[in-house]
Amino acid sequence: MRERNIPLYTLESLKPVKEFDIVGFSLQYEMSYSNVLNMLDLARIPLLTVERDENMPIIIGGGPCTFNGEPVADFFDCLVLGEGEEVMEDIVAAVAAWKKLGKVDGKSGILKKLAQIGGVYVPSLYDVTYHEDGTVANVAPNSPEAPAVVTKRVVKDLNTVGYATKPIVPFLDIVHDRIMLELFRGCTRGCRFCQAGVLYRPVRERRPEVLLKMAKEMVDSTGYNEISLTSLSSADYSCLPGLVDSLMDELKEQGVSVSLPSLRIDSFSIDLAQKVQQVRKSGLTFAPEAGSQRLRDVINKGVTQKNLEDAVTAAFQAGWSSVKLYFMMGLPTETDEDVLGIADLAYKVLDLYKEIKGRRGAKVTVSVSCFVPKPHTPFQWFGQNIAGEFERKQQLLKARLRDKNITFNWHDARTSFLEGAFARGDRRLGQVLLKAWQNGARFDGWSEYFKYDVWMDAFKTCGMDPYFYATRDRNFDEIMPWDHLSSGASKEFLQREYEQAVTEQLTSDCRRENCSACGVCPGLGVEVLDWGNKA
Amino acid sequence: MAKLRLEITKGEEIRYISHLDYASAMERAIIRAKIPVAYSEGFNPHMKLSFASALAVGVTSQAEYVDIECKEEVDLSQAIKRLTAALPLGILIKGAKYIQGNVPALMAIVNLATYDVTVPLLAEDIGIIEDSIRWFNEAETVSYVRESPKGKKEIEVKQYMAKAVKIVPLEKAVRLMLEIKITPTGSIKPGEVVVALVGMFDLPVDIDNLLIHRTGLYISDGNVQVSPVEL
Ligand code: SF4
Repeated sequence: MRERNIPLYTLESLKPVKEFDIVGFSLQYEMSYSNVLNMLDLARIPLLTVERDENMPIIIGGGPCTFNGEPVADFFDCLVLGEGEEVMEDIVAAVAAWKKLGKVDGKSGILKKLAQIGGVYVPSLYDVTYHEDGTVANVAPNSPEAPAVVTKRVVKDLNTVGYATKPIVPFLDIVHDRIMLELFRGCTRGCRFCQAGVLYRPVRERRPEVLLKMAKEMVDSTGYNEISLTSLSSADYSCLPGLVDSLMDELKEQGVSVSLPSLRIDSFSIDLAQKVQQVRKSGLTFAPEAGSQRLRDVINKGVTQKNLEDAVTAAFQAGWSSVKLYFMMGLPTETDEDVLGIADLAYKVLDLYKEIKGRRGAKVTVSVSCFVPKPHTPFQWFGQNIAGEFERKQQLLKARLRDKNITFNWHDARTSFLEGAFARGDRRLGQVLLKAWQNGARFDGWSEYFKYDVWMDAFKTCGMDPYFYATRDRNFDEIMPWDHLSSGASKEFLQREYEQAVTEQLTSDCRRENCSACGVCPGLGVEVLDWGNKA
Repeated sequence: MAKLRLEITKGEEIRYISHLDYASAMERAIIRAKIPVAYSEGFNPHMKLSFASALAVGVTSQAEYVDIECKEEVDLSQAIKRLTAALPLGILIKGAKYIQGNVPALMAIVNLATYDVTVPLLAEDIGIIEDSIRWFNEAETVSYVRESPKGKKEIEVKQYMAKAVKIVPLEKAVRLMLEIKITPTGSIKPGEVVVALVGMFDLPVDIDNLLIHRTGLYISDGNVQVSPVEL
């Protein structure tokens, strides 16, 4: 596009991106930051917010990474914390009003207006100071319009908020080329490594009749023939069996099938999977996350060895023969014994198949990612394993998984290291990002494009230390670069969870059991909506 | 069971989508239009659609054909109306009819395709163009080497040319009109014909910027040619 002098344009209207009033990016993953810069550049929009005046589009970011948007603070005019449905309208109204009045007070005029909208963080209205040791000393607004703490937006009741029934249906094959029916938002199982579990609290379910209506409207408007029941943990939806039945009944005539993207580790999930997928026996995927019971207790993954055995048994009995198991390595308190526990589980699964079927023939895929501690989780203080340690553990496990029926996949430790640095980075990483992009970093999440050396050079040139961000253990009293960005869950709650983790104590799911006092519900004026409980 | 046979276009708007994407755009439109389409049996049912011929990425067409197997017959004008409303820009319905009984697949009966290829000229003198086309038309055989991931294969081009290539001079460009046979053992792509023209007959055109447009698909017995909806 650069060669042919074509500016980045939108696929729907073929209009140059630069001509829009607002341009939004969804920041799902730290490793996509270099692509954001690249898109801005392709669109011929100056990268830095200070270089853009009121005639340039307003650049907005959303998605989970905004909860520590500091590393991209120099590039975004504002970052929106939390759910978009309602805040989007507020933003558009503010921008429209400003434009109508002739863009009063220029760029800073609109930014100050936007900063007053709940959930909208305008990084340029804050100053950050640092201690000599590099940690954050203070983050404070430099303008009266900016609140000291920006708290996420959350939709109180998903049943009453509008939803997109006419999504754009592209010609090309896209990643989620089907109807995504969101059953509920939030997940309070309380896995301690999980950022989504904190950011999207509390659990709010849609009513089954609303979902059925949405599904029908979307089939009619899109023509898709598959509906995926999405959520952080769809099997937890309180009315799932009934919903699946009615969806299948009512949409069968139109050739529409239903699929479940994630399974819980129990036989209930297997029954459901069997129902929706009929006989398509592609592999089943489970995520025990850790190899030993002790470590699963540390991370509060409420799954026992027995749960897994039951689920796998049910799956084999129902005719499946290949199982995918997802794990992480580098979790707090992890020992080599925990790592090797992953191998034990994999062999256990093979043995179970033999017991049930009387012959060998199961295929087990073990996928192990490198744990990256994320902001706003109980493990936000924990120093990530260094790459060498990950690689040692990977080799340890690899040596133990020598069976031709087991496939072992692992993540690149260096990619995870960089992800870790940016996940818990501060504003000073903006220059590193810029430098790395200038030197050719793109598509860093794709191993074939990942240029580790370019990144390390960029850190060096900027005089920054990636280890300081990724692998350093923090004190509980350290000010985090994201302390002024609130998910509603209190730091005390996160610290309590960390302490319970290292003492291997479990915390229950507030969806159907006791509230664990994370602070979200009273703080944001919302409540758990679970129809199985209270309908 | 009736088949709804449609004559549809692939317009400029969707020049760069693949045949697979074109087919799924049709499938989605059929669902949106609530056409009572039949599905295959089995655990992974497919909509029963069959196209006359696949169109390559970058090629537009004014005459594509698809058979939609229906569980029941909706009034034809109703069906067209609903489909028209459901189709994306770039797909227009130009003809439609129901076909009864067990008829052979479109793919098996269509044996002739006609194309307009528009390509910028690299020479001022139209005479050079005419010469090179005439040499091509008069040649007994023309061989073209098709390269694919599977390897190289030599193909004789002229056996697939139903008629002589005609030209229409345009401003700074030329339009080539090709009639190509589709045989059970294969065919040649219009782009390949142009490559042969440039490579072996020195046709002075900018081959990187050619635009291919299919003008028709026919069932021909050598004398009479009819389109699948005229059948
Ligand atoms: S406040 Fe209590 S009920 Fe609400 S999300 Fe937090 S732990 Fe759950």
